[in-house]
Amino acid sequence: MKPLTLNFRNKAAETMGDKQVQQSLEHVYTGFFKGRLEAAGDTPEWEELRDKGKAIKDHTIAHLDYYLGMLADNVEKNGGSVYFAENADEARQHIIDLAHARNIKTIIKSKSMVSEEMALAESLNDEGFETVETDLGEYIIQLAGETPYHLIAPAVHKSRLEVAELLDDNYKSGDRVPDATELTMMAREKLRGVFARADMSVTGVNFAVAESGSIALVTNEGNGRMSTTVPRVHVAVMGMEKIVPSIQDLSTMLRILIRSATGQRISTYVTMVNGARASDEEEGPEEFHLVIMNNGRQNLLADPQLRESLNCIRCGACLNACPVYRKVGGHAYGWVYPGPIGSIVTPVMTGLKDAHNLPAASSLCGACLDACPVKINIPRMLLELRHRTAEGSADTAERTSSKAERGIWKLWRAGMMGRKRFDLGARLSWLLLRPMAKNGWLKKTPPPISRWTSTRDFPIMASSSLRSKLSKRTKKAKS
Amino acid sequence: MTDREKFISNVTASLGRSTVLVPSDESGTDSTAIFEDAATAKSHADRAMSYASERSTELIDRMANMAAVNGWKVHRAGNPEDAADLIADISEQKGAKSVLRSTHEVLTEIGVDSAVTNTGATLGVTEHSGSIDANKIEQAKSDAFTADIGITGVDYAIAETGTVVLHPRSGLSRLVSLAPPTHIAVLRPNEVLDSLTELFAMERNDYLSGDLAGSMNLISGPSKTADIEGTTVTGIHGPLEVHLIILENR
Amino acid sequence: MVDQVSTSVGESTFDILKHLGLTVDFLDDQTCCGQPAFNSGFRSEARPVAARFIKLFEQVNGPIVVPSGSCAAMVRNYYGDLFRDDPQMAERAKQVGERLFELTEFISRYFGVDAITGKLNDSATYHKCCHLLREIGMNEEPIEMLSNIDGLKMTTLERADVCCGFGGAFSVKMSDISSAILDEKLDFIEATGANIVIAADSGCVFQMQGGLRRRGSSVQVVHIAEVLAKSLRNVISTESAE
Repeated sequence: MKPLTLNFRNKAAETMGDKQVQQSLEHVYTGFFKGRLEAAGDTPEWEELRDKGKAIKDHTIAHLDYYLGMLADNVEKNGGSVYFAENADEARQHIIDLAHARNIKTIIKSKSMVSEEMALAESLNDEGFETVETDLGEYIIQLAGETPYHLIAPAVHKSRLEVAELLDDNYKSGDRVPDATELTMMAREKLRGVFARADMSVTGVNFAVAESGSIALVTNEGNGRMSTTVPRVHVAVMGMEKIVPSIQDLSTMLRILIRSATGQRISTYVTMVNGARASDEEEGPEEFHLVIMNNGRQNLLADPQLRESLNCIRCGACLNACPVYRKVGGHAYGWVYPGPIGSIVTPVMTGLKDAHNLPAASSLCGACLDACPVKINIPRMLLELRHRTAEGSADTAERTSSKAERGIWKLWRAGMMGRKRFDLGARLSWLLLRPMAKNGWLKKTPPPISRWTSTRDFPIMASSSLRSKLSKRTKKAKS
Repeated sequence: MTDREKFISNVTASLGRSTVLVPSDESGTDSTAIFEDAATAKSHADRAMSYASERSTELIDRMANMAAVNGWKVHRAGNPEDAADLIADISEQKGAKSVLRSTHEVLTEIGVDSAVTNTGATLGVTEHSGSIDANKIEQAKSDAFTADIGITGVDYAIAETGTVVLHPRSGLSRLVSLAPPTHIAVLRPNEVLDSLTELFAMERNDYLSGDLAGSMNLISGPSKTADIEGTTVTGIHGPLEVHLIILENR
Repeated sequence: MVDQVSTSVGESTFDILKHLGLTVDFLDDQTCCGQPAFNSGFRSEARPVAARFIKLFEQVNGPIVVPSGSCAAMVRNYYGDLFRDDPQMAERAKQVGERLFELTEFISRYFGVDAITGKLNDSATYHKCCHLLREIGMNEEPIEMLSNIDGLKMTTLERADVCCGFGGAFSVKMSDISSAILDEKLDFIEATGANIVIAADSGCVFQMQGGLRRRGSSVQVVHIAEVLAKSLRNVISTESAE
């Protein structure tokens, strides 16, 4: 998928002006955010589980090379094949080649953010394969020709009416809008036929177990199970960070993933497959292929300040917790991964220079860190990326701050380095702004504060500083 | 260098190393279970099983509660005849014409076959004999997609999450619990594990002793989605209705 | 901010600490902890200002109390990162940080949430400022403190722990997003029907007050230090009147 990160401000403004989408985004809080809170509250050992999850991921990422080798060995031992793709182009081409070589007609896709990096469904359709997204949200998005809005709720911004227009072949403007159940049943009917004729599936991977070469898939709908059951070829795609070392680690990871994602104790279906079907089975794929993709993740890995972001298990909890995401929506972020975690990984995977607004778009409230099941310190990394865009600290080419901005902060420093200057600066601003103020507040100000006063009143400096007030008091007390 | 070697050496370099470092339990806090040896894994698995039988009454109750939360319709049967009656009732209610079942022992015990056929439905078993060919595969698929009800036992259940665990194999197809619009699972005492920890302890022990099943499905209620305006709807791809029949200790 | 804009917050802090029987010093030379530049990414500008802060407060002993969770968080939780290439300075920052407390944290930790028993006839609601809540860990304590004020009727604010949209330079740089977040906050504030909103960070106070004024609302946003100090003054003036 082509990054559109430069468009952040426009897209954000567009979303904030769209009442219907704003209403849909409410569900992100009332449904997902609250659900997670309740699930965490119902789990007495919740903090221990988070610590354990973090420990598992920290360890795995620190030895990622070792566990990648172990995983590949074991998948092959189980009879599967493994393809290592340096980038999205290689991964996409490999899957296209697999499909052509096997004379595939119909491909069912299960939800996978990694496949979005490759714009896979679109490419496979272009190659002539009937390719259908089977997660209901993804299916809606595919019909709309859009990209997912949220890590776990791709169509969270769509209203029932919009869904009806996409799903209901008989729907005419002005008709009664079918309810969610009716619409879901329409999708069931359509997709059943696709499942029955599919000869290849592409799924994501929630966790890949290095020691046994297994992959775990978590779905509520059952499309993950269909994908690992009906077609004769199963291709699973994963980012290289999605490994856990041991089967036993799944108990911790599944608990924190699912509770954080939807607030459920468990999703309806968790499927673990160790390759193609067993010799005594009539169902299940004849072939299993695992595609492991890098696509810029090595830049996160090689960066001690940002490596932690590879611990992400894509639960979406940071999106739900984020007051900014809940206003600007998923498309503003301009690439596959939206929200707070997207503001870290997108700039590094697609280029910080164009994506400089992503780390800036945060009030640093810390709700993302609170919500993260593996305690990724997102605010710390946002600050790190701001440092890079402000001063080009990691790479001078990444500096996007304006000359004026740099000048302001230089001036600010000069003002802060001596008390006299500090007072003088404050007094000067007071003298300048006082004539425009009413009751200590300003309705209009010169730039850059004008951006504040376009929507809010701005407080004027006090007539004298706290220091002088306190010293006056001391004098008074003495006399 | 192969693609794999290139890829992994790239990762090694990104980690700031020149060769792959074999991990040890550096923190000493067993950050991951990979450092637990086979004997420990076996003792975890044994404990899980003995706990399941010692505490079966309590675990069954917790299972029943959590399963209901997840959307299972939970029924308790005091004896095999009651269980058979329950199945016959559901079958009639659904107006089932064709029913598929697995070869779980418990289903023979309660006499599922006559219970179902007495309602006039046909009954198929997801077991095959002889070699598997393309025709058989197509037939099995179409049987499953046209069946009205799928009936299985359980391999395990999990009290923490209200989950039924199935390991597909000959005699237990992947689709019998997925494709028909109604799934009935029959649970016996002693099959309920405390939590996911116990399940994966047993899976790991199976793996280390070379007995890991080819695949595993954890099923916790009917197929669901909330992708349209956050409204939960059951039955998007899998069963719309799932019944859990708990066969009490006789 | 407290020094030059909301001076009454500083004075109130001073009064509260004195009321608790402490000797209070105000270091005349102090300016800023460096957070504004740090949060904007300009660490090379923030570093000398932070170093100045450290050196200044190294010269005095005893606890350092600030009426801002945000400033406290900067010193305690972010100086380490700011000085990560200068272990010596990082260690000095840590030492200062160990003595530094946010006001409500300091009171609840050393004097208890029931230490301030003033009087104030009003109706109020409390907004949980992000850094005090998540970086310093003060959640219900300030509310408990306020509920000990005689006559003050506290109403629960819906989504009290959701950001007000301030975020320092973010409020200017991404003014439209900041305002959209603020709008939601103000709707919840107005729904409480309270006369005053109490918050513990001056930046958040400005953001919310600025927004309420623009809406034409009469709801006042006040810093918790001002409320506590005022409630104490009310007791003292009643006592002297008797």
